[in-house]
Amino acid sequence: MSTDPLASQLDFIPCGVLQTLDDGTIRRVNRTFCAWVNATAETLIGRRFQDLLTIGGKIFHHTHWAPLLRLQGSISEVKLELVHGEEVLPILVNAIRRDDDGTIVHEIAAYVARDRDRYEQELVQARRRLEAAVAELSLLHSTAKDRAAFAEQMMGIVSHDLRNPLNAIRLGAEILEKSDVSEPQRRVLARIAGAVDRSTHLIEDLLDFTSARVGNGIAVTLRPIDLHECIAAALDELRLSHPTREIVHVVRDHGPALGDPRRLAQLVGNLVSNADTYGAPSTPVTVTSAIRERCVIDVHNVGAQIPYALQKTMFEPMTRGAGASGNTRSVGLGLFIVREIARAHRGTASVESLESGTTFHVEWRAP
Amino acid sequence: MLVAQMTVQHRNNVTIQGDGPLTLVFAHGFGCDQNMWRFLAPAYAERYRTVLFDLVGSGQSDRSAYDPEKYGSLDGYAQDVLEVVREVGPGPVLFVGHSVSAMIGLLAGIREPDRFVAHIMIGPSPCYINDGDYIGGFTRKDIEGLLNTLDSNYLGWSSTMAPAIMGAPGQPELGVELTNSFCRTDPEIAKQFARVTFLSDLRDLLPKLAAPTLIVQCHDDLIAPVSVGEYMQRTMPRATLAIIDNVGHCPHMSAPSACSLAIDRFLVQEGL
Repeated sequence: MSTDPLASQLDFIPCGVLQTLDDGTIRRVNRTFCAWVNATAETLIGRRFQDLLTIGGKIFHHTHWAPLLRLQGSISEVKLELVHGEEVLPILVNAIRRDDDGTIVHEIAAYVARDRDRYEQELVQARRRLEAAVAELSLLHSTAKDRAAFAEQMMGIVSHDLRNPLNAIRLGAEILEKSDVSEPQRRVLARIAGAVDRSTHLIEDLLDFTSARVGNGIAVTLRPIDLHECIAAALDELRLSHPTREIVHVVRDHGPALGDPRRLAQLVGNLVSNADTYGAPSTPVTVTSAIRERCVIDVHNVGAQIPYALQKTMFEPMTRGAGASGNTRSVGLGLFIVREIARAHRGTASVESLESGTTFHVEWRAP
Repeated sequence: MLVAQMTVQHRNNVTIQGDGPLTLVFAHGFGCDQNMWRFLAPAYAERYRTVLFDLVGSGQSDRSAYDPEKYGSLDGYAQDVLEVVREVGPGPVLFVGHSVSAMIGLLAGIREPDRFVAHIMIGPSPCYINDGDYIGGFTRKDIEGLLNTLDSNYLGWSSTMAPAIMGAPGQPELGVELTNSFCRTDPEIAKQFARVTFLSDLRDLLPKLAAPTLIVQCHDDLIAPVSVGEYMQRTMPRATLAIIDNVGHCPHMSAPSACSLAIDRFLVQEGL
């Protein structure tokens, strides 16, 4: 720097020290700084500090450094990059602007900031990765939502469109039945009517499945009901559609209950159909309705024990018991819908299967 | 409408001073905020009505008004300028824009010419990147490097850059309460603003600004070299070029008297 003792001490302190004019022209520079840019003080003096910076640094110097120093008198912790040859050296700079005997000068202290630079790069990269991950996630999410909405629409459209031809078949069969038909023809018509009923059920199951899976769950309207009467009425209908099966209704305790009668009839219907399909021939299906602290519906059949592994998954859609004949209407949605109806009542559905038989148990809170 | 007035005033932190036959609207450039005008504007507030404001995303503007889509081009800023100008109306104004704001003023002036009596452009550049015979001062690689720097300089450009704590000698020009937020920018906003600024090319629009225009160019400015001022003077219908002796991009700060001399001459020349 110069021959003055303080200046020569500055030469050896472990940070870069410069003094420039207001326009950045270097007046003094210490040896530490010179070493960073691999130059001598003589070659640096007279050059402008900003000319030693990267393009970004130069622009920063013009747009931030100069106005700030002018307004604040000093700035601190500014990160810039020195260029020499192909190399770029990140530095951290503090500077003050002062009047040195009538000349405005900038006193600059610089520190190498390689580690901070590296750390910043890592931060930036981490943030970019995070942003990319979040973007991908939200893309996947919206794709999934789109697909779900599409599936729901498809199900809705197909189910709705199937109802009309089925109604036409049903009406046609009914009209034919009223005309003069032979006994074999009447049997054919009865089979047509049965097939139409099963198809209608299947469509309803599909619609319920769709709204439970991709919609907001199965819709129920809870209102005060007489649970036992409601189950009794449902069983009366089921006895008609399952004429070969004895269906026993056991009533335990009385009290108020909240429920959706149509949905509960559907639930019992699914469980009784299931019991009829898998129950041992010539044994009754026993349906128990009970009200204690909770409303309970139990459907029991005598029959082979359900394997434990299957018990755990049988309420999931598309799960089907072994040995079911091809003639049943279920495609494995029945128990799923039972569980969803139970859930819509804020209750649960479970199964207990022993060697003596299987009981499906549904319960929800009594008011 | 009172609500709208409040909104523009709040959004752009509009401050009005002085009174006179003419309203001067000062728009700061990339980097800081309306405080940049403190060496130039006060003198004009003695003779004219002066309006200072912050671009959205800068200074004390309402950051919540920053919409990346709107401010993804200079048009979004020009829209704001027109709103500010309408706000402080009714008469037309003299628009003083620094750097990128000179170009924002150009866009506003072309869109609604009747609202501007004249433009004063300090260190303007219609295009920063060299293109054939046109010398903007930077290569495309330079600008890409700059934008990368912004990307990787996590703290540098957005930090407070507070005054050094080791005791700055003399009186800082601003109160301490102001300095802490001065020039502070959200890094994302700084990045986008830099992109919008340094990648802009408005050369085609220069011939369309019919209002008298003063171009104040520094003799040594990395960001807006003299060649750019000369190009603008050649291309614009009613442009006057004043080159002043100054190193850097902010002559209104580092050479305020040379600046106001050039401006005063222009005002006399145009009968303002």
